[in-house]
Amino acid sequence: MFWRLFTTDIKMLFRNKQSLFWAFMFPVLFTIIFGFFFGENTSVGSVALVNDSSTQLAQNLDKSISDSTLFRVDKNIAENDIKNEIKKSKISAGIVIPEGFGNLSPDSPKSVKVIVDPGNAQANSVITGYVQSYLTQASFQIQGAKPVFNVDEEKTSDRTLSYFDFVLAGILGLALMNSSVIGISVSMSRYREDKILKRITTTPLKTWKFIVAEILSRLIINVLQIGVVLSIGYFFFDAHIYGSIFVLLPVAMVGAILFQLLGFVVASLSKTTDAAQGMATAITIPMMFLAGVFFPIDTLPKWLYSVVQYLPLAPLLRIIRNVALEAGSPFDNPINALIVGGWIVVALTFSILKFRLSDE
Amino acid sequence: MKNVIEVKKLVKKYGKLSAVNNISFVVQKGEVFGLLGENGAGKTTTLEVIEGLRKPTSGKISVLGHDIKHGINSIKQKIGVQLQSSAYYSFLTLNEILSLFCSFYPTCVKPKDLLEMVDLTDKANAFVNNLSGGQRQRFSIIASLVNDPEIVFLDEPTTGLDPLARRNLWGIISKIKAQKKTIILTTHYMEEAEVLCDHVAIMEKGKILAIDETHKLIEKARNPYVIKFIAKNINKQIFKKISSYGEMSNVFGKEKLFELRLKKQGDVNHALAYVQKLNPENLIVGSATLEDVFIELTGRTILED
Repeated sequence: MFWRLFTTDIKMLFRNKQSLFWAFMFPVLFTIIFGFFFGENTSVGSVALVNDSSTQLAQNLDKSISDSTLFRVDKNIAENDIKNEIKKSKISAGIVIPEGFGNLSPDSPKSVKVIVDPGNAQANSVITGYVQSYLTQASFQIQGAKPVFNVDEEKTSDRTLSYFDFVLAGILGLALMNSSVIGISVSMSRYREDKILKRITTTPLKTWKFIVAEILSRLIINVLQIGVVLSIGYFFFDAHIYGSIFVLLPVAMVGAILFQLLGFVVASLSKTTDAAQGMATAITIPMMFLAGVFFPIDTLPKWLYSVVQYLPLAPLLRIIRNVALEAGSPFDNPINALIVGGWIVVALTFSILKFRLSDE
Repeated sequence: MKNVIEVKKLVKKYGKLSAVNNISFVVQKGEVFGLLGENGAGKTTTLEVIEGLRKPTSGKISVLGHDIKHGINSIKQKIGVQLQSSAYYSFLTLNEILSLFCSFYPTCVKPKDLLEMVDLTDKANAFVNNLSGGQRQRFSIIASLVNDPEIVFLDEPTTGLDPLARRNLWGIISKIKAQKKTIILTTHYMEEAEVLCDHVAIMEKGKILAIDETHKLIEKARNPYVIKFIAKNINKQIFKKISSYGEMSNVFGKEKLFELRLKKQGDVNHALAYVQKLNPENLIVGSATLEDVFIELTGRTILED
């Protein structure tokens, strides 16, 4: 009885284009888009390099820039064209090493020109910073001096992590949230509207079996979702995943159950399928931004952060990132696990009290 | 005959509104029992209380010897329910839906046999959305038969169907009856209740106005006999004579079509003798219908919405 229901539920999920879209297409699209922007090499784009000097210093700088993985170098753009090319977004910046640069004679040029677009802050700071620090080093060498003061950089993790890794973990949470909240609320409301739920209650099938089969079949989809998103990030965009999939999956399943329960809450509150769809979207879209799928939420104003850090998705993302990117344990910060657990209790209690298969 | 359903003093209230107001009836094994009435008369509520979908406010109901309060789980195994305007899973084929519902019961009928019974064999692998209205309704009836139930509940099985599809469904209902199953159905089509039902209860505003064997109900009409004819020459004297035997009326503005309703069989012959003198066209002698009884009881006819 149960097995048949469970396999039939899975069959239906795969035949339902809408559920497949939210489960697979939506997160995969996000992964690919962010992968192209931020994955693989963390390049800030192309840089035009014009080197008019043949001195040793100029040659060394030229080589260093050309070898850098931070940007691609294009040497076929004339100095006069650089500003135009930047305006046309063909390149992010231009570097011009003037003739005679590197000669120590007093009348030879002493600076390298960096042409940037003020609108592209990320490229500006990377390129200007790169050239600046190279020249500072060179100046010290020529003077035979050693820097007196230094920055001692200490990372919270000795692992290489990029913005793409941060977003990829966010997309995992997003995928679980969207497919579960929208999937459950819409399908339950539609079943109720079509009286399928009522029809089910005329049979000897126990309500809890019906719901458990529904939840389990969706968890199967969630496992596939995570596999697909992680594989695309890992194999196509060189994502850095340090945690074990065997810790990550159970964490994701707990998250999925939480969101499915929220789906039941939405289904209990909405009378029609359209209402459920609207309410589910109204919950998931703001949460997508406010819980930190794409941006770290601690950059929000303090009062806002103090609220949104408790949204169901927020602690889950903190746990997912800690597990996936830092190879940590889900309980490293027990507060996160507690918030997730708290939401599960609230949503479960509400669903048990309010969700009905039929009118009474 | 054995009673398979016994309803005693059933009341179902929603707030102050009494959807079902103190009704009692029994359904006997193997018969077709009809609840007849307008929308909102309480037919569906009555069915759904018996099916265990709604809790009665008060009253006692037993189905197949089990009280619905305690024995609903045993009852559910032995009844089949077709809900009013219910849809089925959109992403499953007919075969898959029947197999799924089969799996909810300890015993079940092969989907193939059910589909064959209503000529849907070639649609076994189609989705419900690809069926016509009539096919969908036929399917929803066999879906209520998967567990080989002893009692079948059909809630307005023919509403919204064209006349041909409706007759087709009547055939299916008689096939189910032939399998010795008890059927309890609701309808607002008088002629349907007249054709199909052994017993009819006429409901209005949550109450049963009349309940009896169908033919007995019709015999209870104030004027059980009807003569209908089209008169070309209207002779006032003869008309006066004819009118003295019963209630004469002109049918719905058709100037030459007349209807004479009579109380006694003996009057029929006398009246007919006069009618013949008018040299009538299209002379029909018949009995009252369930609709006549309904109109007499409720003072109006059922308007379809």
